[in-house]
Amino acid sequence: MSDNILRCSIKAVGGWGQNYTNWQELSELLTTGATAENTASSPKPEIIPANERRRAPLPVKLAVESSWQATQSAGLDPKGLACVFVSGLGDTQLTDYMCKVLATENMQLSPTKFHNSVHNAAAGYWTISTGCMKAANSVAGFNESVSLAILEAVTQCVQEQAPVQITFYDAPSSEILKPLLKNDQSFSASLIIEPVLESNQNDSNLLEMQLVSQATEWPELDLETHLDTSYKQNPSARILAVLNMLTKDSADTVLLPLSAETSLQLTLHNPKLVN
Amino acid sequence: MKIRNIRIVDYESTTAVADNIEQLRIAIKNQKSGLRKNDFPFSDLDTWIGRVSAIDDIDLGEWQSRNNAMAAYGLQQGTILAQLENLKTRFRPSRVGIIMGSSTSSIDRTETAYRHLDENGALTAEYQQATVHNPHGPGLFVAHQTGVTGPAITINTACSSSAKVFATGARWLQSLVVDAVLVGGVDTLCYSVLHGFDSLQLLSQDPCKPFDNDRDGINLGEASGYAILMRAEDCETDTGIELAGYGESSDAHHMSHPHPEGLGAKQAIESALTMAKLPAEEIDYINLHGTSSQANDSIEGKLIGSMFPSSTQCSSTKGWMAHTLGAAGITEALIAIDAARTDLIPGSLNLSNLDNELDFSITAENIERPLTHVMSNSFGFGGNNCCLVFSKIDSNKDSA
Repeated sequence: MSDNILRCSIKAVGGWGQNYTNWQELSELLTTGATAENTASSPKPEIIPANERRRAPLPVKLAVESSWQATQSAGLDPKGLACVFVSGLGDTQLTDYMCKVLATENMQLSPTKFHNSVHNAAAGYWTISTGCMKAANSVAGFNESVSLAILEAVTQCVQEQAPVQITFYDAPSSEILKPLLKNDQSFSASLIIEPVLESNQNDSNLLEMQLVSQATEWPELDLETHLDTSYKQNPSARILAVLNMLTKDSADTVLLPLSAETSLQLTLHNPKLVN
Repeated sequence: MKIRNIRIVDYESTTAVADNIEQLRIAIKNQKSGLRKNDFPFSDLDTWIGRVSAIDDIDLGEWQSRNNAMAAYGLQQGTILAQLENLKTRFRPSRVGIIMGSSTSSIDRTETAYRHLDENGALTAEYQQATVHNPHGPGLFVAHQTGVTGPAITINTACSSSAKVFATGARWLQSLVVDAVLVGGVDTLCYSVLHGFDSLQLLSQDPCKPFDNDRDGINLGEASGYAILMRAEDCETDTGIELAGYGESSDAHHMSHPHPEGLGAKQAIESALTMAKLPAEEIDYINLHGTSSQANDSIEGKLIGSMFPSSTQCSSTKGWMAHTLGAAGITEALIAIDAARTDLIPGSLNLSNLDNELDFSITAENIERPLTHVMSNSFGFGGNNCCLVFSKIDSNKDSA
């Protein structure tokens, strides 16, 4: 049973990070090895209404920007897409705000900051901004956030035979928590996956997923310096192991750590650089 | 998806009113609430809470947090751990999965750490717990505590978190990525939620009165709940209850206010009924979200009145153990499951006069009645909704 293979196809990609503002720029960094330059410190996702955008925390803006890019690139209306959002660290700046206020005498929290502190803030802002009433999930998997979110989204896509948007995002850690959660990179990427029929084995970017009963480490990637820092520090940037396969000329397989005694084996057939 | 294939093998619930299911049945039978006036240390808020004092003195060393203590205490109840040991031997520990739901994870511990920073404003050695201070804390800890080595994930969708664990569990089982799955929910009282809900002016100064004309806010509580799910063909024993359907949806309206017409909630209920292939009138009992806030109860009550006939009996059980946030989904799903097994509908505690604008079947008294199909609603911040339907496996037989 453990050799059961689940199939879907990757329809589109979006992304915004420390050194790129969209998937095209990110894919160039992956293929040319050019040295990255810093972008602005935060994206400005136009889909969030301006008054809401001002109140939106950085992790939310990262997630919504790359989600919007991916749905636009796929030519799909977000209203019709179930979504899975994953962040390994959560919003540590808001955690920092809350815990500092709660360490004082008066303990008066801002109501907006309190409701923004839920881990599903990104899913909330996304569904509110796009009018999406589909299932929205918000999960966490610490260092295995990327592999666990892929497992979650692919099983949903296959079982419910419907496309799913997956967004991986993590922002720099707050100063006090940084010694534990060592990340000072902003990274976000989104994938749109679709169910595939058994007969459509020639689809481009056909992804095969399989659980393997053995432990593994995150694979070494030959990355540009800044991306390599993100890959090592930022739990969500580990999606680069999958995105990297999209830039190859032929099928490739990666083995990603999933749990103490399991790994996620992902094979990408017929890679085609989607825009 | 094909659903009528997911069985509930075992379950346990720990709340302010009872340490386990056996005690919960007695408390429900006697209509004994677990709420008390707020006595959470260093909190002077004038409200009532559902506190589990038994976890106050649990010491987990490097895994310490109030949330993990709640998770650990819940795991000690009933036969959950014994069942897991059997399944680990039968299938291998890596073929068992864990899906936890939580809204606070272990932010209680981060709060405590911030009150004990050193002179340089840094975390002291005792609090340098990376696996605790992150949103996946509950999943990591329960994997550690149970020795389960298959995939472990944490769902954090606020107050729908541990309802959604059943949907994810069903998908993992149907995809054959695991042979059994422990789904759970855990949340604990902490200053973030007490003072957060206070900032939204949502806390009641009295015991909460869901759906009552005079309701004036919610009470917060803490809880853990667990269920073991398996595919029917692999079950050697089970509870006689199956997950018949689930529905997940979004309000697309506001971060902390429900959709004024309950459109997201309606969609979740309709999806769950469609998957279960049941018309609304087949539902015998609904455990409502029923937080006792003005907005939720008004909107949910009107929706239920418009969708279900008077033969569908409803209650909110938040008057027994308060609103346990990320643990509420599974706590109330288990109350609905147990109602079906015992044919006893828990009353909607503290209800004196139903809100004048509402019209559906709800009463403070318990009702004994044969139940076949039961439902549980959970709605969370961010407009995140989940509805679950559970059924007795063979409605022609007495399977309880």
